Amino acid sequence: MIRNQLIWRLGAFAALVALITVLFAMQNSAYVSEGNIRALMRHMSVQGLAALGLTFVIVVRHFDLSFPGVASLGAMTLGWLIAIGMPLWVAVTGGLAMGFAFGLVNGIAVARLGLPDIVTTIATGGLAIGFSYFYSNGTSISQNFFMSGLLDLNDSKIIGLDMPFAILIGTALIACLLLHASRFGAGFYATGQNRLSARFAGVPTTTLIILAFALCATLASLSITLLVASSGAANVTAGNQLLMPAFAAVYLGAALFGRPSVGATLSGTLLMSMMLNGFTLLAIPYYYSDAIVSTVLITAIAIFDPRISAALRRLWPSQRQAA
Amino acid sequence: MSDVTTLHPARRSAPARQAPNGGELLMRYGFFILVILVFAGFTFLRPTFIAPGNIHGMLLSSSIAALMFLGLTWIIATGEIDVSFMSVAALSNMFTAWLVQAGYGWEAASLGGLGTGVLFGLLNAALVAGLRLPALVITIATGALAASLAAALGKGTSISLASTGFVGDLLAARIGVLPLIAVFVGLLYALCWFVQEKLTFGHYIYAMEQNRAAVVEAGVPVNRMLFMLYVLSGVVSALAGVLLAGNLSSGQPYLGTSYFLDGLTAVLLGGMALKLGKPNVIGTLTAVIFLIGLLNGAALLGWTDSERQIVRGSLLLVGVGLVVVARTRRRSAAHT
Repeated sequence: MIRNQLIWRLGAFAALVALITVLFAMQNSAYVSEGNIRALMRHMSVQGLAALGLTFVIVVRHFDLSFPGVASLGAMTLGWLIAIGMPLWVAVTGGLAMGFAFGLVNGIAVARLGLPDIVTTIATGGLAIGFSYFYSNGTSISQNFFMSGLLDLNDSKIIGLDMPFAILIGTALIACLLLHASRFGAGFYATGQNRLSARFAGVPTTTLIILAFALCATLASLSITLLVASSGAANVTAGNQLLMPAFAAVYLGAALFGRPSVGATLSGTLLMSMMLNGFTLLAIPYYYSDAIVSTVLITAIAIFDPRISAALRRLWPSQRQAA
Repeated sequence: MSDVTTLHPARRSAPARQAPNGGELLMRYGFFILVILVFAGFTFLRPTFIAPGNIHGMLLSSSIAALMFLGLTWIIATGEIDVSFMSVAALSNMFTAWLVQAGYGWEAASLGGLGTGVLFGLLNAALVAGLRLPALVITIATGALAASLAAALGKGTSISLASTGFVGDLLAARIGVLPLIAVFVGLLYALCWFVQEKLTFGHYIYAMEQNRAAVVEAGVPVNRMLFMLYVLSGVVSALAGVLLAGNLSSGQPYLGTSYFLDGLTAVLLGGMALKLGKPNVIGTLTAVIFLIGLLNGAALLGWTDSERQIVRGSLLLVGVGLVVVARTRRRSAAHT
């Protein structure tokens, strides 16, 4: 039964991918060109990394609204370290460490001190944005970027794959091992389902929640590192564009596959990126992209809500497969 | 460890009507004292802080902000969340400006702006209260939708207006140092205080936060109440957006971002006043005045953007922390 369901869900996902591809390719044949697919994969890498981090927090049934602000702080830290002449690896590590530190603060505040997750992470996100103004009082940083080798993170290739996509795949594999092939992974899901019983079952729930928040913030910083590498400048609003797509990817994936997971998030990210890329190719202005993403998100949550999908099935009992 | 032990109803919960001790009184009214102290400090450092023009300006911005956060206060008091309020205000602001620019009068434009608020209020209400979908994610999405439409109306930039119509006249009307709009907002808040304190509606709001299931069992139409609250939040946010169109004599698609943190900070910090951690309208009003005064004083003192952002973020964290401390001390059972 579970296998059947998985096949059905994979089929639905493949059908959506095919449908989107055909629709856009009919409008503009450049959609399926190699150049565009590479652009799509780059876009997906940035969004996917942030969404992967968020997946962990959603799995333990918490929310993190701070990662856009934390990512901006990570971007500015990275830019500042490069601008003062630090080697690339120090700068990248510095940016990631900043994200990790904020993630730890979030995790400890929520898991250990019991503060409510939504408002706490909004507050720490606001704090992070405040700190991100420190380096340059809000102006964007791009000194030394050409010399540092940062741009190679975007331009170089590994075994035929663009570097950003390779980083996404590598991270996804590690996340997959952690979440789906280890004791920790089962612990994450158990913590999300019932923290108290998970604790009595010997799961270190507090540690896992802290780890989830730390992963979320660190991966958001990694994703912003790729964005900075592709745009060639770090600025204080860099992270703002991560929030909606990340939530949309996690929820769309979870809706498609029944629960949040690494594979579900990657599928959600792929669908989102395919749509956004297609609309960009059709020259639809940038300010419509959030409207598209949010409409998809609301629809996905509504349709896949158990009670609503049950009601839909009652309305059209024979067309269950068609959805 | 605490959440394991405290979930057991080991101790008798919520002893009825403790005699107010010194500490509790300080928590109840400490916020008002803090506001007075901070404002006195600003006045001492920069006497222009209490110049009539400055007070008038602060009261005007406070009135608009307080209007925007009114619905949010009660939504957070019920334990739900709305993070779309500032984007709804931005959309209503842009739509009003767009209509005025397209040649409709200010009256029709204001109604149009309000209409967007009603629409988004209904949308949030239908999805969150009607279909019981998760409030945070839904309002993130509807907020992004509103923000995106607001940007689309101006093709990504602001719309500047030649006249400010009757909204401008309303905002300019003043009784001495007091803007007329502040009187209206003050009366509205007084009315809401009455509803919150004297009517069962208010009692149900706080009961919902404590135990939703019990309130449902008691026969309270919880979903209908939530529905009304989300519509209210949409309407008051849109009203604030229309007023901002007159105040700024333009439509600003990105005005939402600056109100987001302030709204949540005002509600949570204000919750500390009077009701020890429960968001309430008088607390929100006080906190709004505090935040606007702080921003104004900080500008007079020449703080940088960074410092102001950090102060705001810290205040929100302090607000959250105080709420939690106050609740765990008052209630023996931790709520999860």
